[in-house]
Amino acid sequence: MKNILEVKNLSVSFDSPAGEVQAVRDVSFSLQKGEVLAIVGESGCGKSVLCKSIMKLLPSSAKIKEGSICIHGTDITDYREREMQRIRGKVFSMIFQDPMTSLNPTIKIGQQIAEAVLVHDKKKTKDQVYERVIELMELVGIEHPHARYHLYPYNFSGGMRQRSVMAIALASNPDILFADEPTTALDVTIQAQILDLLREIQKKLGTSTILVSHDLGVVARAADRVAVMYAGKIVEIGTAEEVYYDPRHPYTWGLMQSLPAFSRGKDRLYTIPGMPPTLVNPPQGDAYACRNEYALGIDYEEMPPMFRITDTHYAATWLLDERAPKIEPPVGGKCFE
Amino acid sequence: MNKEVLVDVKHLSHQFHLTKKAVIRAVDDVSFQIYQGEILGLVGESGSGKSTAARCLMNIYHPSAGEIRYRGINICNKKEFKANKKMLQTRRQMIFQDSSSSLNQRMKVAEIIGEPMKIHHMISKRGNYREEARFQMKYVGLDESFLDRYPSELSGGQRQRIAIARALSMEPEFLVADEPVASLDVSIQAQVINLFRHLQEEHGFTFLFIAHDLAMVEYLCDRVGVMYHGKLVELAPTGELFANPRHGYTKTLLSAIPIPDPVRERARKLSVYDESDFGDGEMEEVSPGHFVLVPHEGGNKIEKA
Repeated sequence: MKNILEVKNLSVSFDSPAGEVQAVRDVSFSLQKGEVLAIVGESGCGKSVLCKSIMKLLPSSAKIKEGSICIHGTDITDYREREMQRIRGKVFSMIFQDPMTSLNPTIKIGQQIAEAVLVHDKKKTKDQVYERVIELMELVGIEHPHARYHLYPYNFSGGMRQRSVMAIALASNPDILFADEPTTALDVTIQAQILDLLREIQKKLGTSTILVSHDLGVVARAADRVAVMYAGKIVEIGTAEEVYYDPRHPYTWGLMQSLPAFSRGKDRLYTIPGMPPTLVNPPQGDAYACRNEYALGIDYEEMPPMFRITDTHYAATWLLDERAPKIEPPVGGKCFE
Repeated sequence: MNKEVLVDVKHLSHQFHLTKKAVIRAVDDVSFQIYQGEILGLVGESGSGKSTAARCLMNIYHPSAGEIRYRGINICNKKEFKANKKMLQTRRQMIFQDSSSSLNQRMKVAEIIGEPMKIHHMISKRGNYREEARFQMKYVGLDESFLDRYPSELSGGQRQRIAIARALSMEPEFLVADEPVASLDVSIQAQVINLFRHLQEEHGFTFLFIAHDLAMVEYLCDRVGVMYHGKLVELAPTGELFANPRHGYTKTLLSAIPIPDPVRERARKLSVYDESDFGDGEMEEVSPGHFVLVPHEGGNKIEKA
């Protein structure tokens, strides 16, 4: 399969009064056509910054320090704003967490979608635009599109709003869709519907999706591959089955164990001790070492490289070194059977 | 259960008037009891009236009908409320969903935690307000170094702990937590939930815990009430509700819990609630402590297991 997106050794940092914040550190991954890659991690791990740096939506205080971003084999790392504007929406578009803040409350839903259609193709006639809007609304599962065209965002429920935002994002058939916590603001029942819609659209249009989330339960439903991020680095990446059934990085274990489903019948929920480190002066060695009960001496001194487990499954932990002691992972296996 | 009833809600209704004609029945004829020392969970989709019910309980809204008794005091009655105002306003505390908007951005953490005591002219047991704030912060697991910070300098989990510390500074016996963990990360959610557990077990707090994350509710709560479109459709002990749901909406809700397992999660079918057993009706006890809403004639009956 062809790689649509390739990110190599990407590092992004922000200037702040406290010093340089290294939000993304040396991240490499690739995205194939028609797959869903989920990025999981606690807040402040650089998930959103990673997405926004690919779309170049970051504030001016942020800089891409190193690395390259290739789309369809073209390097876009040094693209300027004008060139980016040409490809945004056509090549990639984004869905944000809170649908209420990404929609304009004073403009009708249909007109907001029409705006997105027109921006990308100014030659369309009024009727063509209207037709396209109705088509998009049907695609994202908004029933009675002709009547709902004239409604305002406040008339819509959270799920319907998120669908409208998706219609806007899909207006000119992007190749890559970034979904930044698309279901966090929604109910459990609606959440699953939106995730199914994401998958359905991805099958219909062949769009690749990058799904950012902190909830491993949500990710399990939609993702083909999962990348776990911690302190600006990808610490584990693999297919969903590999990461869920055979997690290797202690941070992935920690994330899994803190789900209430794993603590059923126990007195206390598992918590990962401590906090993610500030990225102004990221610790030497493995950033997770000080929260890790399985930390080895070397973790405090040297950054672990990505160890290969299978062709698709990689993890950055010294525990995979052949000299490391063998540790029975506390989670993994088909624990729900 | 022969426990003492702390809060007794009877036929509570609350309406919002949008225009002269349009009325939203946010809470519609809801009755339940909260016993001393238990955690009652309230679940349902957004817009089902969970928060409105909680706000009525806290005297933030004045209910349109029904009565709420707290230790036998009818808090909807203005005279009775005034006579017991100090007790009611200090013994009951609320934690809001969004900690960034429920904390004053211009106050330091120490001031935020001390403010309720200032308002009620209470003298701190620990000398001054600052000592009190220090004590409460230690209690919720925060470092003293946060005392002179502003809320914007803290992470979501830390802010939520400040909100909890502020509520605890009044030494309440009844806490209403309105989606306290919805905006937090999974690992921080667990910390807050563990704190609630600790408060209940060690200090006998009574909670009303509102959430839409059923996995958390199953873990934390003693009893669970399910709300749908302003009505309480099912109320049962947690184990009983999760093992043996009776109402159609509860079943739909339970089937929507995500499983952290890719193969099973993808195979899971979504069920849609068809509202066949929903309507005006009465709560019926199907087994001890397990109540289900049974609509009046005309609506479909729930199958008896």
